[in-house]
Amino acid sequence: MYHTGSFIKGQSLIYNLDPRLKLAVTVFLSIFILWVKPPVAFFTGIAIFGAALISRVSLRTIGQAMKPLLYFIVLIFLVHVLFDEGGVWFKTPFFAISLPLTGLKQGFFVVWRFLCLIVAAVLLTMTTAPSQMIAAIKYFLKPLKLLRAPVDDIAVMIMLALRLMPIMLAQKEKIEIAQKARGYHLYSSGFIKRIKAFLFLTSNVLLSVFRRADELAMAMDARNYQRGDRSSFIELKLTSADYLVIIVLVILFAAITFLN
Amino acid sequence: MIILEDIYYKYEPEGIEALRGVSLQIREGEHLALIGPNGCGKTTLIRHLNSLLLPASGKITVDGSDTKDTRQQAQIRSRVGMVFQNPDNQIVGMTVEEDVAFGPENLRLPTAEIKKRVAESLDRVGISELACRNIENLSGGEKRLVAIAGVLAMRPRYIALDEPTAFLDPAAAGRVLNIIDKLHSEGVGIIHVTHNMEEAALTQRIVVLNEGRVYLDGTVREIFGKAVMLQKTGMRLPQITELLIKMKEAGFPVRTDIVSLQEALQQIISLTEPVKD
Repeated sequence: MYHTGSFIKGQSLIYNLDPRLKLAVTVFLSIFILWVKPPVAFFTGIAIFGAALISRVSLRTIGQAMKPLLYFIVLIFLVHVLFDEGGVWFKTPFFAISLPLTGLKQGFFVVWRFLCLIVAAVLLTMTTAPSQMIAAIKYFLKPLKLLRAPVDDIAVMIMLALRLMPIMLAQKEKIEIAQKARGYHLYSSGFIKRIKAFLFLTSNVLLSVFRRADELAMAMDARNYQRGDRSSFIELKLTSADYLVIIVLVILFAAITFLN
Repeated sequence: MIILEDIYYKYEPEGIEALRGVSLQIREGEHLALIGPNGCGKTTLIRHLNSLLLPASGKITVDGSDTKDTRQQAQIRSRVGMVFQNPDNQIVGMTVEEDVAFGPENLRLPTAEIKKRVAESLDRVGISELACRNIENLSGGEKRLVAIAGVLAMRPRYIALDEPTAFLDPAAAGRVLNIIDKLHSEGVGIIHVTHNMEEAALTQRIVVLNEGRVYLDGTVREIFGKAVMLQKTGMRLPQITELLIKMKEAGFPVRTDIVSLQEALQQIISLTEPVKD
């Protein structure tokens, strides 16, 4: 089953890049696209969509990942159009309707920036295995070890959260089916009944997850887990492709910053 | 050798006494079945073997190391691997190889050594082809094998398996049992918790627990020869043994301490042979 933004196996230049590089570029791009002027943001966005094409993740899948945010995106656009304060209007050749030009422009660029952020984030999670991502996060958090931050524990916590999430969803479905089997339909009764059913479902899911978490903690103990330093199965190594991408990106960003 | 001396354990705050004076010796390379009715203390007992639970009184040593000695716990947990009843509650990684690597990562081994151990463990249980597969896409039997591989990556001398064939279809259960048999032939000590007497018959020694105590302890033949005592605990003998007991009660001269289908067949065939003068 596909979940929004989850990793999809594949092979391409983007897939093979070092996860640290992908994470760093995504964070940098997110800041960059909000900082630069609209025309530059437009071309940066084109570059992000270009990267999506190179990644060989189907555009349909990326579209699917953005679907839940569609209403939000439309709302942002409408807010800019309807509450335009620029005062420049233009008459459309159809239906004799006038539209606020500045509002449209502003709405377009805000939505564009927003879409670019989503595509960059989705591209990162779709082309980077969760374990690789955790290794990258752990790498960037390493300096915090000097401040005695439990970096290895944080990495394990992220791994466990990712592991427990599908289990929680499966458990929720199981309880829902069990309720239906006994003639109880969560989404068809009255409001109060629905709230009660929801609370019942949530408490049951939580109880079962706590039980599982308890067992999982014991299983981790059995495999010698102790808080603190751990070694890693995942080896992070920059390849020549990574260096090439770094050089290209540095040149591009320098040029864009200059133009901006 | 694992030595348990007069072990007592009580679950708090319920105050349920799970183990009441258990004494046992498990030799290296031994294949032992731990059987008994529900709630007799089987799971509690095996959780004591690698220091997950500590006895309220009594002493457990694993190759000379006391399980209560916190300095020795890491070594004990490497020596005694534990396969839990539900692999979903044991598997930590997102993919097969990541999960198998979890134990060696905890031992802080270098990456090259971890990779070597992962490949070796997956090969030992015959699932090398699943290395990159997502855990969520595996069958129950495959998950069970991943859990065993994860334990093997720690290179244990003993493995305690808590009902390793529970909820599996016959084919998957057979695969798991073959792996257990193979590990035993490689010299790994196996402590196999089961309700299934056919599975217990495949081991060298059976320990029957009842109400937190060792009720019977002996070779498979010895235990199957004490059918009446065994039935008192609510355990059922293999159907073939039950058949031979009924035949004996009906006056047929057959043995009842039979451990395999082949032996039972020989007994029945011998009845049809004409008596030589």
